[in-house]
Amino acid sequence: MADNLFFVEPTTSRRGFLKLITNLMIGLVAAVLTVPLVGGLIGSSFRLKKSRWADVGNISSLPLGQPTSMKFPYKTEDAYVRETVTHDVWVIKHSSSELTVFSPICPHLGCHYNWHPDENEFICPCHGSVYALTGKVLGGPAPRALDTLPWKLEKDRLFVEWETFRVGIPQKIRT
Amino acid sequence: MLSKILKWINERWPLTTVIRWSLEEEMPGGTSYAYIFGSCVLIVFLFQVITGVWQLLYFVPTTDRGYESLNYLRTEIPFGWLIHGLHYWGASAMIILVGLHLSQVYIWGAYKNPRQLTWLIGVGNLLLTLALGFTGPILPWDERGYWEAEVAVSSAGTAPFLGTVARNLLAGGTALGQMTVSRFFFLHVAILPGILMAFVILHLVAFRKFGISGPWDEAKRKLTGLFWPDQVFKDGVAVTLIFMALIGLSAYRPPLYSGPLDVLETFYVPKPEWYFLFFYQTLKAFHGVFEPIGTIGIPLLITLLLIFLPFYDRSPERNPGRRVTAMVCYAIFVTWVITMAILGYYSKPEASTSGAPVATEATQAVSSSAGDPTLQNLEGAKRGGQLVASLGCTACHRVNGQGGVIGPEFTSALLKGKSRQWLITQIRNPKAHFPNSIMPAFISATDQQVNDIVDFLLATAQGKSVAAGRLAKGPSAPPVPAGLPQKTTPTPSVAPGPHGPPQEASFAIGNVELGATIFHQSCESCHGAQGKGKVPNPGSADGTVPPLNPIDPTLFNKNAQTFVNDIDPYIQHGSIPEGPNPVLHMLSFGDSESLTQQMIANVEAYVLHLNGVNRAQITRPGLEPRTFFWLVVVVFGFVLGGFWVWKGRRREKINR
Ligand code: FES
Repeated sequence: MADNLFFVEPTTSRRGFLKLITNLMIGLVAAVLTVPLVGGLIGSSFRLKKSRWADVGNISSLPLGQPTSMKFPYKTEDAYVRETVTHDVWVIKHSSSELTVFSPICPHLGCHYNWHPDENEFICPCHGSVYALTGKVLGGPAPRALDTLPWKLEKDRLFVEWETFRVGIPQKIRT
Repeated sequence: MLSKILKWINERWPLTTVIRWSLEEEMPGGTSYAYIFGSCVLIVFLFQVITGVWQLLYFVPTTDRGYESLNYLRTEIPFGWLIHGLHYWGASAMIILVGLHLSQVYIWGAYKNPRQLTWLIGVGNLLLTLALGFTGPILPWDERGYWEAEVAVSSAGTAPFLGTVARNLLAGGTALGQMTVSRFFFLHVAILPGILMAFVILHLVAFRKFGISGPWDEAKRKLTGLFWPDQVFKDGVAVTLIFMALIGLSAYRPPLYSGPLDVLETFYVPKPEWYFLFFYQTLKAFHGVFEPIGTIGIPLLITLLLIFLPFYDRSPERNPGRRVTAMVCYAIFVTWVITMAILGYYSKPEASTSGAPVATEATQAVSSSAGDPTLQNLEGAKRGGQLVASLGCTACHRVNGQGGVIGPEFTSALLKGKSRQWLITQIRNPKAHFPNSIMPAFISATDQQVNDIVDFLLATAQGKSVAAGRLAKGPSAPPVPAGLPQKTTPTPSVAPGPHGPPQEASFAIGNVELGATIFHQSCESCHGAQGKGKVPNPGSADGTVPPLNPIDPTLFNKNAQTFVNDIDPYIQHGSIPEGPNPVLHMLSFGDSESLTQQMIANVEAYVLHLNGVNRAQITRPGLEPRTFFWLVVVVFGFVLGGFWVWKGRRREKINR
């Protein structure tokens, strides 16, 4: 039988010994070879992307208490691809030094939501989640409030740390 | 349970039969370590397939990202260094093993009747293996890959009649480019391995049909051995050793980082992988009309000789002692290959590395206006005046009352009587005129730029005043030579302190040796040999140019990428040292394009190297390469040694 070919005959014969040690050697080589293969498969699958501060622009002319969408160039570093892409954030200016910055990504399933000044609400077109000016969920399937982003002001220039979060869950977890 | 499953399968697919067929063989004359090579080639080929496929998770075959994506695998993926190392060294191992296998078959006379077809398929496997070994290194499209492609494509172009057709088909266009990479990629990962796999199966089937040829001595053939397990054990020992050697090589001799492709680079000496060195060296003997004899004729002749071997050598005699002609031919061939390979390895390039690329365009431009200094191109002189500032000449030379005092002032007295050619050489390779000159060679300025500067200098020589560009206000970036990445921010050539983010050079892993050559040409005059020097810089707060070896501790970082990011802005944008009136300041090599981004990447790798930091630092090794290697050695030793001891004890017990 074939299994007899591979495994040791129940003897202590020289051939039985040879079969066992040959299997052992081949097994070891295969096992060691598995290490880089697994490493290569995992790769950077579990590595958080580095977030970076980006210059979003001048906020001196923004209206008070009104969300404004601000677009800015952002240098991404995705593995070996480095390019500049355009991102946007919702900025609400409370005073010259107090702001709220929302990520433009809907925490439900990741669509881009919009500000509806007539209703005074953020509404996501995809599944109809509705958020208040504070980011609180007012309706729809959204599992959590809008995600705020870290920001800082240098004179009148707004800098935002661009981060993304897992969508579809109540917790705000970075991706 | 197992036997039930086996039975079920066997009723539907002859598994046991196939396994028996592949393992059960009587070996006339017994087993031998001389027979291991075929199995070793097979296993190493499997390694190549597996590691090759795995690299596809990361590598992309494009001209702009190939090198970077490979380096990402090698430095930032756990055990990526090992995947690539195994593949790289596996290629060498496979070629050696194929050579040994072929030698064994040849010496044993095993290609003779009835094994002619086995031999023919084997020759096919040899050619496919060489083709794989040739196409592989091209793929990253780095310095090495590009030049190998250039050689391949040009060699194809020397073919009589069909040269141009072959050349363009291979390159996928009239010039090298993305289509070329795609074609070599297509060959290397799909076509060649696919055919090789099929051929390997054919080879095995043919081999199984007739078995090994065994010893030529009839008396020795009486004794028989079994392929499994006796021969497989020997094969296994060899494979295990080869595998460990491949890991060791990957850890201790990682493949070279040849640097990002820069077609303006004139220092890089393209040499093929070691296994083609003999051919490379042989080709040097064929010039001009004889070239196709070398590029096409010799490989064709060797291939034909190999293919028809079993047909012109038909005597059934297998004993090498009675096949004197065959053995002499073999000895001559092997000596030729080895001698040529060694010569090729140590050969110096024919052109000097003095960094004086012949300014072809500029030289041609001269011939039209040669000898007549009055025929000055005023437009060119004006552009030249701007370039004198933007390329950084005025950092050392005074022009119209402004600029540095390190070099002589550009006066008509200084420049009188200098020919255009003399000035071009002076700019391209100052050491040609003054061996001790500290002037950096302007190697990457375009011919047009050099021409313009010479126009400017000639105009100055005649006392014509052409306004030089102002020191701190360079013109916008000069035209970017085709094929170079576009710069995004043309900034003034000299500005107080470095500014702006690191440029693309900082992301590419440069080549240390090329960096050393460029450093010698462009940086050494101020920073001293190996960056150690204390070249005086009157008027600066330090009094000397800061040495780079060791570098200012505020710039140093153990992390290679951070280190590079720290120094890159200085090289890109230049800087003015602190102090009341520093004579020397750092030129903006990047902004002025005196150096290409690729050259800067090489220089950065060299500066890091001077400070004991490896530019190609592995940031996520999985396990440190050397630690991993020794761990594997210990595990293998422990398990196999332990097994040996255990087995011995057991046998003793039974014997008692
Ligand atoms: S993605 Fe916005 S509501 Fe579903």
